[in-house]
Amino acid sequence: MKKIEGVMAQTNAPKGIDPDGIFFVQVDPAKCEACGTCEEVCATGAIQSINDDGIRAVVDPAACMNCGQCLVNCPYGAIYEGVSFVDEIFEKLQDPNTVVVSMPAPAVRYGLGESFGAATGTYVGGQMHAALRKLGFDYIWDNEFTADVTIMEEGTELIQRVKEQGQKDARPLPQFTSCCPGWIKFAETFYPDLLPNLSSCKSPIGMLGPLSKTYGAHETHTPAKDIYTVSIMPCIAKKYEGLRPEMADSGFRDIDATITTRELAYMIKTAGIDFNTLPSQQPDPILGDSTGAATIFGNSGGVMEAALRLAYEVLSGKTLKDPDIKVVRTHEGINAADVKVPGFGTVKVAVASGLANAAKLCEEVRAGKSPYHFIEIMSCPGGCVNGGGQPLDPDVRASLFKSTVAQINKRFRARRITA
Amino acid sequence: MKMNRRSFIKACGVMAGYAVLGVNMTKEAAAAAMGFVGLRQKSVYDADANVYKIRKSQDNPMIAKIYDHETGFLHEGPCGHMSHHLLHTHYVDRSARVKALKAKGFKFNL
Ligand code: SF4
Ligand code: SF4
Repeated sequence: MKKIEGVMAQTNAPKGIDPDGIFFVQVDPAKCEACGTCEEVCATGAIQSINDDGIRAVVDPAACMNCGQCLVNCPYGAIYEGVSFVDEIFEKLQDPNTVVVSMPAPAVRYGLGESFGAATGTYVGGQMHAALRKLGFDYIWDNEFTADVTIMEEGTELIQRVKEQGQKDARPLPQFTSCCPGWIKFAETFYPDLLPNLSSCKSPIGMLGPLSKTYGAHETHTPAKDIYTVSIMPCIAKKYEGLRPEMADSGFRDIDATITTRELAYMIKTAGIDFNTLPSQQPDPILGDSTGAATIFGNSGGVMEAALRLAYEVLSGKTLKDPDIKVVRTHEGINAADVKVPGFGTVKVAVASGLANAAKLCEEVRAGKSPYHFIEIMSCPGGCVNGGGQPLDPDVRASLFKSTVAQINKRFRARRITA
Repeated sequence: MKMNRRSFIKACGVMAGYAVLGVNMTKEAAAAAMGFVGLRQKSVYDADANVYKIRKSQDNPMIAKIYDHETGFLHEGPCGHMSHHLLHTHYVDRSARVKALKAKGFKFNL
């Protein structure tokens, strides 16, 4: 076990193991104070009491979507991560025969700075690229590029689905987004009948892995077998996704290692890099350059907004003058919107933040009552910026104490009155 | 109230902290968490509007390069053959294990 930015983690680097058998998060019973916070934030109920003392545990990995919301919300730091590749990545960075490639997600650059004292949410994209270079990554490729690819693929798929309605073998509507690995496992586990509604697109990281070992290998004249791809995510469920057996379309493992924002911060600190004095740098070309549409993937409603920026132009043949489509921006809960597209009509969309809300939209689809063309789902409330792999909110580990103090205050006051 | 070992330890910890910090801590934990998320979300939209020069995926020159009809790696365009081979996937029905757990008496929310 290693302590990584306030979270304990088992350092191992599983390979060729069925990820369905892995506990990506688990409770340390010696640290659990039985407060029940984890159970409250868990949509599936995978984490529950296992004895009369109220000690919690993830009872079986099959019921856990690996979202990590229990972990980031536990006031006692009692929940640990079951998988960490940091040691193996340090070894690969040292190895002159391995070409190590970085693949950071959009949301990482809105959390990483917090580990180095920056204000909540500070954008540190340029310093993140510089830090990855300093750590010794050979190519600073960026998952934001494949967020743009995802929009091209998923937007095209949506338009195809809309057009083929009424034809034989038409793929069903609504189309669900497929970039959130917690949501994908959730659909596979609890709504398998709705799998035809899921976009067939892999997530942006599911695309960047194989593109690195094919297109990227070709463009940089690197033998694909020498490339080691590191997925850097605001997310624990991405570790599960990286280990899915089918993620091997490049002829190799598409994603060799997955770490969180916290683990990247840990690696930067361990390497003795002074993050705050780093200059702002660009990613490497070919698989690095991106757009505003890609960076908003980090927020609930962002994939929807980015897709609409494309769909509007394709369906109407006109230029979208103002790219802000604020109606779909989602802070929490479920957000539904009608987006008028000239020459097409109304695109009906919904965004759900959190899996309990996802379940509500799934029930509608299952009942044949869903009015939408396109639904975006993110497991974590607010989106990836609030993912289970992001630096911890310092208030969380103080919060239970504060609310308990408030309760005690109330009890003392009540006693005084009755005395 | 029945006190087990855990809640006793917890109460001790709370009392000690209580003595140090005093009264009037009323800020809701949940509200604080969303304020925190809201700050990160705002920063994302600010960067979209102010940091990124191009704001639509289809306008990214590297997207034009990879999908170029003649020389592009994905020259058939989005959802073409190469895309289907590398960038699209299939899903697996994983309901059986949770069903089996429920049959053994485990309770879940769904
Ligand atoms: S939130 Fe932490 S301390 Fe509270 S019950 Fe869950 S694991 Fe135990
Ligand atoms: S990781 Fe998510 S699904 Fe798994 S126990 Fe924690 S909150 Fe529940």
